[in-house]
Amino acid sequence: MKRTLALGLLAAAALAAAPAAPQAGKSEVAKMTLKVGDTAPEFTLLSDGWKTVKLSDYRGKKNVFLAVYVLAFTGG
Amino acid sequence: MDSPAANAAFAKQIGVTFPLLSDMNKKMLKSYGILKGYDVHDDTFEWALRANIVIDKQGIIQFVEEGDSAVDPNTALTMCTTLHKKEPAK
Repeated sequence: MKRTLALGLLAAAALAAAPAAPQAGKSEVAKMTLKVGDTAPEFTLLSDGWKTVKLSDYRGKKNVFLAVYVLAFTGG
Repeated sequence: MDSPAANAAFAKQIGVTFPLLSDMNKKMLKSYGILKGYDVHDDTFEWALRANIVIDKQGIIQFVEEGDSAVDPNTALTMCTTLHKKEPAK
């Protein structure tokens, strides 16, 4: 099967011990500012092989699935 | 943020075939509105929401979900399949 999807798993984690849900302050669920139909902002990220990966690398080539996965490597 | 080195170890552990990306300077998270600040113990800490985003070949966002519902990627994957089926056969 032709591989059509570029899957990017963005691991955004800061703490070794996964923090519990915020206990104080802004308890409301924040909303993403982007919506369907918007042009996706360009980004440059570092891959696990230390190469830069840009959204524009996939323009006209592949659909992109970004999974923003917080605290991916913590087992939390 | 997980560093590229941490992601490399994670990629090896779970055997992924797609890139694991790090946003070490948080620029992407900020521009996408995913990075949020939380006030805890009289200070503000930033970390990202969990989110799934599907962007088509033209760079247009076709699907977004965030928070708890984004833990399950199946809805986003269905959108990917739909996008693929829409493309003219070559």
